[in-house]
Amino acid sequence: MRDLKRHPALHVAVAPWDYNPSSWRQRIPICLIATAGFLIAVYMGLFQWRLIDTVWDPVFGDQTKTVLTSDVSHRMHYWFRVPDAAFGAFAYLGDAIFGLAGSTRRWQYRPWMVVLFGIDVIPLGIVSAVLVALQGTVVGSWCFLCIVTAVISLVLVVMAYDEVWSCLLFLNRVRRKSRSWRVVWDTFWGRPSEIAEEAARELVREAG
Amino acid sequence: MWARVCEVMFGCWLAMSPFIFRHPPDEPRWWWNDFGCAAAVIVLALASFHPRTQWAHLLGIAVGLWLIASGYRDLATDPPPAVQNDVLVGWLLLMFAIIPNDADRPPAGWEERLREEKDQFRVPRSE
Repeated sequence: MRDLKRHPALHVAVAPWDYNPSSWRQRIPICLIATAGFLIAVYMGLFQWRLIDTVWDPVFGDQTKTVLTSDVSHRMHYWFRVPDAAFGAFAYLGDAIFGLAGSTRRWQYRPWMVVLFGIDVIPLGIVSAVLVALQGTVVGSWCFLCIVTAVISLVLVVMAYDEVWSCLLFLNRVRRKSRSWRVVWDTFWGRPSEIAEEAARELVREAG
Repeated sequence: MWARVCEVMFGCWLAMSPFIFRHPPDEPRWWWNDFGCAAAVIVLALASFHPRTQWAHLLGIAVGLWLIASGYRDLATDPPPAVQNDVLVGWLLLMFAIIPNDADRPPAGWEERLREEKDQFRVPRSE
C-alpha cells in the first residue's frame, strides 16, 4: 500500500515560485537554523539565571555580561517573568515547532499554521534584530552572540517568506473568487470547499 | 502525535517540579497548582489519542494560559525559580497544544478529497 504522503498533489510547485515552498527540503533547514538560535539563546539564558558564571564572547569581551545584566534586561525579566534570553529562545523554538507542523501542502491545507509561523518568524524576527541593533546605543555595549542570533533571525525571514507569501496569495484568491469572508475564514482553518480547491488549482497551474 | 508525546513529558516535568524547585511545605497551593496542572496536561494529551476526544489537546491552551498567569500573582518581588518554571512550561504548552494530532498529514476534510481523487492512496488515519 502506497503512503498518502507520496500523493503527487502533496508535492507540487505553487505560484509565484517554480518549487514547493512547503516541502521538507524548504522547511527542515529553517527548523535547523531556528534550533541553533534556540540553543544560543538558552545559553545566554543560563547566564542570566546565574546557572553559569561566564559567557563566551570572542569580540567584545566583557561587554556581553554588561548587556545581559543591564537595566533593560532586568526590566524585561520583570515583565516576562523569565529572562529575556529565555523568552527569545521560545520564539526560536516556536519557529522550529511551527515549521515542522503541517503537510507538504500546508500553504493550502493549514493556512493558520503558515500564518502563525510567518508571524513568529517575520515580524518577531525583525523586531528582535532591531532590538539587538539598538543595544549599542541604549545599553552602550555589544554582545557577540546577540548579534549572531539577530543574523539568524534575518536569515530565517529570507528563508521563510516564500511559503507565507504563497499562503497569502491563496487566501486572497479565495477571497476574490468567493467574495465571502466566511469562505476565507473556513479556508484559513483548513476546511475544504470547491472554491478553495479551484483557487489552489489555479495557483498550482500558474507556478513557475 | 509527536506534540502529544511532548505534552505528556511536560506533564511529567511539572509533576517533578515541586521537588526539583523545593516548594516550601507551608505553601500547599504551589504544590497543588503544579500537580493539578501536570495531571490535566497528561490526561488531555492522552485523551487526544482517542477518536472521540481527539480535540482534548486544545484544552491544553487553557492550562498553558493558567500557568503563565500564575507567574503574575506576586509582582512585588522578582519571580522565584519555581514561578519562572511555571511560566516557561506554560509557554511551552501554549506552543504545543495548538499543534494538530496528525500534524504532517492534511486535515481530515482535505485528505478526504485527496482520497476521492486517487483511490490507491487509501490509508488508515490513525497511526
